[in-house]
Amino acid sequence: MRGDGAPISRLGGGSSPQALRDLVSSASSMLDGAWALFEDLASNGSAWHVGSSRSALNIIAVVFGVWIPHGRDLGVKRFGLLSKGHASMALYTWLAASKMIPVEELKSYLRLGSRLQAHPEAFKVPGIIVSTGSLGQGLSIANGIALASRIDGIPREIAVILGDGELDEGQVWEAAATASSKGLSNVTAIVDRNMTQHTGRTEDVKAKEPLDDRWRSFGWHVITVRNTFDEIVAALEEASAVDRPVAVIVRPRS
Amino acid sequence: MVVFESYRRAVSSILLELGERLEDLVVLDADTGRSTGSLAFGKKFPGRYVNVGISEQDLIGTAAGLALAGLRPVAMGFAMFLMRAFEQIRNTLARDRLNVKVIATHAGLSPHIDGASHQSLEDLALMRSIPGMTVVSPADFNSTRALVRAAVEDHVGPLYMRLGRDNAVHVYDNEDGFRIGGLRVVRDPVDIVIYAVGPMVGMSLEAARILETRGIRAGVVDVYTVKPIDSATITRLSTRTILSVTVEEHNTAGGLGGAVAEVLAEAGAGRLMRIGVHERFGTSSKTYLDLVESMDLTPREIAAKIESALATVGR
Repeated sequence: MRGDGAPISRLGGGSSPQALRDLVSSASSMLDGAWALFEDLASNGSAWHVGSSRSALNIIAVVFGVWIPHGRDLGVKRFGLLSKGHASMALYTWLAASKMIPVEELKSYLRLGSRLQAHPEAFKVPGIIVSTGSLGQGLSIANGIALASRIDGIPREIAVILGDGELDEGQVWEAAATASSKGLSNVTAIVDRNMTQHTGRTEDVKAKEPLDDRWRSFGWHVITVRNTFDEIVAALEEASAVDRPVAVIVRPRS
Repeated sequence: MVVFESYRRAVSSILLELGERLEDLVVLDADTGRSTGSLAFGKKFPGRYVNVGISEQDLIGTAAGLALAGLRPVAMGFAMFLMRAFEQIRNTLARDRLNVKVIATHAGLSPHIDGASHQSLEDLALMRSIPGMTVVSPADFNSTRALVRAAVEDHVGPLYMRLGRDNAVHVYDNEDGFRIGGLRVVRDPVDIVIYAVGPMVGMSLEAARILETRGIRAGVVDVYTVKPIDSATITRLSTRTILSVTVEEHNTAGGLGGAVAEVLAEAGAGRLMRIGVHERFGTSSKTYLDLVESMDLTPREIAAKIESALATVGR
């Protein structure tokens, strides 16, 4: 038992740079495959929340293809939570491209009896440890997993993928305050800042800007990147060295 | 004579004991620890106590995360405000069958001074509607201690426990014989059977004593597990009596009255009268008993209602 209330330091830089480079290169080529599967799925009648999934695919590839496996090299348990559960097209095409589920199975997406639920359900597919779909709840769950490390001493890090529209939910900010108050440096929130939510542009529906300042004012360290695989990889690497919760804001490429 | 005990003192004392034994027990609260009694745990085990502030939705999500990591969280708060997190309880705890115990205090009319905003009369109905949710409502001090112990130590999966404040009417002299999923026949039914829950078990026992003086032999059953309800026992007892009655400090829709009505209607097991709070909210009251009386839930009023109902069913 630790139970001393001390902040948990991140375990960064413990593995060889070569191990990380190998992961990056293999994930990067699998991502090409995922994009092909994604466009197939989008054009064959199974398109669902395509925009949300399109902007989430790079993030999902980095979290599940690089960041989590790299944790194994570092001796830390890493978890990825898809708080914006409606980005399931991106998740499932990534899982198929990385051979975690059969490519054939994508045909069952959204069909009765499929494990590929519209909103991912816990333990039905690899890597998904909690069911999501109702927005605003992932960050609280991430905090709980992070707090467990303080109690049982097992190193854990959690990356939670949030939509920008999702930030309208008050619970996100309840959880943001909890993470900074408790010094949960092992939590990283990745905000998919695609500027769009269900009925239109985010700034028309309910303004999110100045978004970086909002997170900073809640005691978070903010890293802003463009929506590219490489920039997201770099952001999560950088986040590892920060002694506070980190928000990675992933903005559109152009 | 009803004797009052404290639900929160009961839960507070047993959590301290469990904390000694169970290294994975974590208690969370939404800044109500002073009132729920969880703060005592926090003082003794500061490393395993989490106050998330006044944010019940965040409370449930955080507890879910702790359970996912393999710990044994108990999330505490006021019943009324935990219902803000109905959806988190439904969508995360219940859907993923996480091992989180939600222990609500200040349920029903127990926060008598606070008034309608704090008096939760719908929580049993909400929690009972969730698939796979276990719903427990102990009667008094000893049964609260026994059932918190059973819930935390033996029960794996999501569970909602409904407690009042300091309005536990004494029923049991020891902590023996309670189990999650059970009920307890406290007084054997002959003519009629009263199914009661929470503080209304003690009130109903007193009502049964009043009825006895009028020649009516009423039994009392403590239905401390509201879900899954022991429908076999309820059907058996109701089949051999001429009237079934439910008594609860809750809206009669969807709570114990609803649960027993479902059982009896499907079994064709006789007539039911539901006593509780009918289609209304609470109100501030200087004393708990004044409030209970205004809702017609004192032993005298329970007995009177049963007596007049009996006149219509015939004996």
